[in-house]
Amino acid sequence: MTWLVWRQYRLQAAAAAVLLAGFAAVMVVSGLQMASQWHSMLGSCTSGGGQSSCAEMPLGNAIGHDFEVLSVIVPAILGIFLGAPLVASEIENGTNQYAWTQTVTRTRWLTIKAGWLLLAAAVWGGAVAALVTWWSGPRNALYGDAFQPNYFDVQGIVPVGYAVFATSLGIAAGALLRRTVAAIAVVLGVFIGLRLVIDDLVRQHFMPAVTSYMGFLSTPGTLARSWVLATGIAGPNGRPLPQNPGGGDTFNGVPVASLPHACQELITQVSRQATIAGDRCLDAAGYRLYDTYQPANRYWAFQGIETGVFVALAAVLLAVTYTVVRRRDA
Amino acid sequence: MSAMTWIFWRQYRAQAAIAGTLLAALAALLVITGVQVASQWHSALAACTASHSCGNLSSTLFLGSHAVGFLVIMTLGVPAVVGMLLGAPLLAQEFEAGTSQFAWTQSITRRRWLAAKAGWLLLAAAAVGGVVSGLVTWWSGPDNALQANAFDPGRFDIMGIAPVGYAVFAAALGITAGALLRRTLPAIGLTLAGFIAIRSVIYILVRPHFLTPVTSYFPLGSGFSPAGSGWQLASGFVGASGQPISTPQSTSGQVISGPGVSIPVSSLPAPCQAAAGNGPFTRATYHAVVSCAQAHGIRGYVTYQPASRYWAFQGIETGIFVLLAAVLIAVTFVVISRRDA
Repeated sequence: MTWLVWRQYRLQAAAAAVLLAGFAAVMVVSGLQMASQWHSMLGSCTSGGGQSSCAEMPLGNAIGHDFEVLSVIVPAILGIFLGAPLVASEIENGTNQYAWTQTVTRTRWLTIKAGWLLLAAAVWGGAVAALVTWWSGPRNALYGDAFQPNYFDVQGIVPVGYAVFATSLGIAAGALLRRTVAAIAVVLGVFIGLRLVIDDLVRQHFMPAVTSYMGFLSTPGTLARSWVLATGIAGPNGRPLPQNPGGGDTFNGVPVASLPHACQELITQVSRQATIAGDRCLDAAGYRLYDTYQPANRYWAFQGIETGVFVALAAVLLAVTYTVVRRRDA
Repeated sequence: MSAMTWIFWRQYRAQAAIAGTLLAALAALLVITGVQVASQWHSALAACTASHSCGNLSSTLFLGSHAVGFLVIMTLGVPAVVGMLLGAPLLAQEFEAGTSQFAWTQSITRRRWLAAKAGWLLLAAAAVGGVVSGLVTWWSGPDNALQANAFDPGRFDIMGIAPVGYAVFAAALGITAGALLRRTLPAIGLTLAGFIAIRSVIYILVRPHFLTPVTSYFPLGSGFSPAGSGWQLASGFVGASGQPISTPQSTSGQVISGPGVSIPVSSLPAPCQAAAGNGPFTRATYHAVVSCAQAHGIRGYVTYQPASRYWAFQGIETGIFVLLAAVLIAVTFVVISRRDA
């Protein structure tokens, strides 16, 4: 069976190896350039204006960055080209009828095919993720944004989870629909849809977010590398004041009109004294600044949870595939 | 309805129904949120005009929601999906299933068979690209006015008429790949890779040179930004004879800054460096350095494509991709007429 899988997929394996080698070449060359740029920057800009003057500087070249962004679609491609045809193209060609009437049981046939391909998807997705993670090292150190959506999704171990999930999705869709092109469409739609839902709505609730309050006059603490979900002003009762995303006169995102009347005039003036007086006024009235965030030290916990969610979904899809393949008439 | 048109409809009615449903869902979402964005934009404009604070509106106002904004950016992938799911199987699946042998032994010639199938599919691709782009262009109207970035790569590619050209090209690429490879899955792979590669080459290497860019010069200490939604390509500093002056980004010394651009004193000629003295600038040393640099003919420059060229660029880009599609379709006709049945 293992020999059969190799014979069926050696062309895809060669194509995948060539693509991976090309990707690796670009990322290694671009990454070495960026690392040396980063080290020369560290020497000069930290001695000048501190870390903050570094953070406004561009780092890395355009092609490396384009490849980093493109790597977000790698799991979908694995689902399309490895997952979707696995069962569907055998049924389309009728070769499953031959395979299912040999001494190898259907369960074993599916286990070995799916097992090897899932392993290949995990290795390929993991190799791309490892290259992107290494490439991003200096940028993560400079901008501290590895926890932000889009950067989180292409680094660490989550791309492996996505790759395993997308491939399982392709296998299950192919087993259910029996048509390769239809299965490919399902992979694209469901994978992108589910990733968006988890990215936008679910991930921020993996653990209860931390909210920290501070006075208007205190030096703001640093939230470097954390994933800041919300910032604003909390009223004397501790509740966040509603924000106004529609522009107009706002102070830390809150409409000036909803702050105490006594402070309003001070806030809207531009002089430094008035600003400090305005801050004092808000402090005295019991208002506080707040940040709601996921602390930086939860990065790997979040990577683990997200990977776990997608691997668990992959397991469910594979269980569905086993049921479908077992019950299908040959 | 001609026989071939009827066959095409029978073969693709399921795909047509799915595409129609998806387009209707996208239209509903973008129309509902687009009306909200427009009213948000108008009330913000009214509020900032009243308080004379419209200058910094682009940094304080966020239009729409992140999720819908992301969906709008994702329409960048629509042409590729059209090419992969509609274009690539058009011929490849007939070869795989052997139905081409039946079709080619009927009274209809292969050319007519291909012309009808490819013609309807390209029309459908253009319609999908056009509808999606029309919705996105309308939805992005307030955001374009706010950010003035409709000419930037990434934004240019999802609005106007360019997406129609991309969709027609992707569909043609899929059809040709299917005719050459005769297998659906490899044809889908070739379509995806070829589409990404050619789109990248055109937007990175070719598009900046469609028309000769304009370069504007400005004196040290000030800056320049193109009017409206211009597309800035490069900026920096040049000396008297036009030779570029290197401006290392990481310097700890004194810097002469203007809006968006800055030049370290260490990049200036030696006499000007001497005029700067040691330690931070005083008003006198700053003026001495600036007038010294000006006396040496040093000035800043911005190279850009003016906003007025937006539609010319859209036309050129669309023309290139439609032309490439025509070449691919011609290749397909040659391949199909020579192929043994």
